[in-house]
Amino acid sequence: MTQMEAPRIDSGRIAEVSRGLDRSEVERREKVFSVFDLSVSYSGTTALEGVALDVHRNTVTAFIGPSGCGKSTFIRCFNRMNDLIPGAKVEGTVLYHSEDLYSRDVDAVEIRRRIGMVFQKPNPFPKSIYDNIAFGPRVLGMKGSLDERVEWALRQAALWDEVKDRLKDGALGLSGGQQQRLCIARALAVEPDVILMDEPASALDPISTTRIEDLMHELKREYTIIIVTHNMQQAARVADMTAFFSVNMEGDGSGRRGILVEYDATTKIFTTPSDKRTEDYVTGRFG
Amino acid sequence: MRVEFQAELDALEAGFQETGEIVLRSIRGVIDALRTQDVELCDEVIAFDDEIDDRYHALEKQIELVLARQTPVAGDLRLVLALLHCGLHVERIGDQCVTIAKLTKLSSHLDTRQTVIEGLVEMGERCAEMVKVSLTAFANRDLEQARGLHGLDDLVDRANRQVFQEVLGYVNDAEALEWGMRQITAARCFERIGDNAVDIGEQTAFVVTGEFAEFTDASHDVPLLG
Amino acid sequence: MSSIPAPLEGSPKRRAWRNRLFQVAMLSCMFVAFGTLAVLLADTLITGWPELSSRLLTGLPSTEPGEAGARPAILATLYLGLLVLLFSVPIGVLTAIYLEEYADRTRWWNRAIEVNIQNLAAVPAIVYGILGLAFIVRGIGVGRVVLAGGLILTLVVLPTVVVASREAIRAVPDSIRQGAFALGATKWQVVWRQVLPASIPGIATGSILALSRAVGETAPLIMVGAITYVAFNPSLLGPYTALPVQIYNWTKQPDPGFQTLAAAAAIVLLVIVLSMNAVAIFLRNRYRKQW
Repeated sequence: MTQMEAPRIDSGRIAEVSRGLDRSEVERREKVFSVFDLSVSYSGTTALEGVALDVHRNTVTAFIGPSGCGKSTFIRCFNRMNDLIPGAKVEGTVLYHSEDLYSRDVDAVEIRRRIGMVFQKPNPFPKSIYDNIAFGPRVLGMKGSLDERVEWALRQAALWDEVKDRLKDGALGLSGGQQQRLCIARALAVEPDVILMDEPASALDPISTTRIEDLMHELKREYTIIIVTHNMQQAARVADMTAFFSVNMEGDGSGRRGILVEYDATTKIFTTPSDKRTEDYVTGRFG
Repeated sequence: MRVEFQAELDALEAGFQETGEIVLRSIRGVIDALRTQDVELCDEVIAFDDEIDDRYHALEKQIELVLARQTPVAGDLRLVLALLHCGLHVERIGDQCVTIAKLTKLSSHLDTRQTVIEGLVEMGERCAEMVKVSLTAFANRDLEQARGLHGLDDLVDRANRQVFQEVLGYVNDAEALEWGMRQITAARCFERIGDNAVDIGEQTAFVVTGEFAEFTDASHDVPLLG
Repeated sequence: MSSIPAPLEGSPKRRAWRNRLFQVAMLSCMFVAFGTLAVLLADTLITGWPELSSRLLTGLPSTEPGEAGARPAILATLYLGLLVLLFSVPIGVLTAIYLEEYADRTRWWNRAIEVNIQNLAAVPAIVYGILGLAFIVRGIGVGRVVLAGGLILTLVVLPTVVVASREAIRAVPDSIRQGAFALGATKWQVVWRQVLPASIPGIATGSILALSRAVGETAPLIMVGAITYVAFNPSLLGPYTALPVQIYNWTKQPDPGFQTLAAAAAIVLLVIVLSMNAVAIFLRNRYRKQW
């Protein structure tokens, strides 16, 4: 019989560990987004209806729910990426630091600098690693040493050590997990305030997924993170607050509308959810 | 990797060990109270049990959260389950201390008999030692040390039998008998403390080997594990 | 006890025989196609070989086949090629960008443009010749000059360039655009810095293939007056003749010496066109994108 390695027990670390913030701690933090009565429709068909919630600074907020419930649609409202889809209409209010995100004076391009996005399938540009990271700062005309900025971004994304000797190599030569971290670094290079992640790890293997999750824990110290995930265990592991979306079938079968069912601290959602639909979903009995 | 998760596990275990240290202080407290028949010390021990209970509930809650959020498997899962059980054992040890303290208070107005007191103090010392060993064995995942607890338990049982024999002799003195009966109950509590320490040792074995087995089983004469 | 699958329909022998027959038919067709081509090429090569010399490349035309060269025609062909590239690529690429990136597909006029681009590619080149004669040579009044020839050839190949560029632009995955937008790039920045650079290989390939077609066009050039006899180096706003036209004219001469010359010139034209195609294929293979 082998003896297991004795663990290091340092009671000083107890204080450091955040077991996922509880709701009151989250709500004490500044509101980054406030959403009121948001609805999104595509060419007349309602995809999402009546959503209201707040996202607080330096937290990870996860959107979970079955497919088709509108969570990807919802996350794209935060950086006005839905503007790029012809026929998409967003009604309701999204406040970003108390400013209306959808008012006429707001420049969508500026918004997207401050609210970055990482996509489900890693989408590095067909350029070198360096040029990928440098693209954002270049198009936005950011001042300062580009080399330093590229290194800083790659370090933040925990990718620097792996690529520092081959910055001029093509980005498409990296592995899937590395490509996704490159996309994260790319988003960080423009110094955003918020990072949106639409199923960032669903195309990756488990080790890469764990790396990305560890990265989220690091990044949330400085950024506010919102993620969409269809993997509930991932939401349980990384998120401080979790929003569960579901689908409301129209009685006459005319359509499926996404609705927000429950939004609460992750610990609550996964131990004592208030709504039965949430309980059914997280226990895997539905969806 | 999974730095947050590892930190949570470490925190759970640290919390458990701290509670264990606090319970050890309770045991030492009742031993002193017995030796010196100090009623105030008994009250302190009784009041202190609230802290132990609160810590147990906090540990339980944290374990619930870790299970819900981190879905531990393999060694991590065994550790979490073992901590849940050990937390309960430690809490029960605390309760036994409270009982002993209450008994001491109840019988403090009666005369004491030195032999019995010495026997009880001996049991107390042995138990304290067992609890200390069980906590250390758990912390170090030391299988041999954990199994050794079963041997120490024999010493406690022996002292228990001695006390029992001594009290049997008080049958003619009513006051002495009353006092003696209380002391037998106290001895029983010490014996239960010893059993709980052995249980902690069994949990250590579970964490290390993945199998749960009783070190001794009351229904068997011969110990199952040598 | 595993069951034996039911026997296949038809006797195996008949099926094998039919298979063979189909293979033979395919091979025969291939031989016909390539064989004919090979025979033609071989014939041209054999006929023109004697006259393949530096005199052909550097000499001026003459009434004597023994002294004639095709230098002005070759130069004009090269100039025309350059003009075609210069005009068709920017116009074609910008049109393609508009259609792919900016046009709102729901508007009827955009859909109309889309349909008509395809149609334009199918218009016979001689129609462009007539149009060119009317509007460019006479209408604008440029006259029968190289510039006019270049403009008309541009019109001939422009639809091809547009279509090829559109394909190249369309092949750029939307995820690249989304990624660039998400960083705060404007529409123009996305097109100029991401989409275009990524589609350059496809655009280049399409342009070179269009160019090689333009270089071989004869009918429209005849319409706009690539004159028969040009014994001086052509200039942009001067009279000219192009290589295909020169070949055509030499074949019309009774003297058999000119036939040989024509065949030799045809070889030169083939070499020009085939090397352009080779460059296009090389580019396509070298820069084939793995998305």
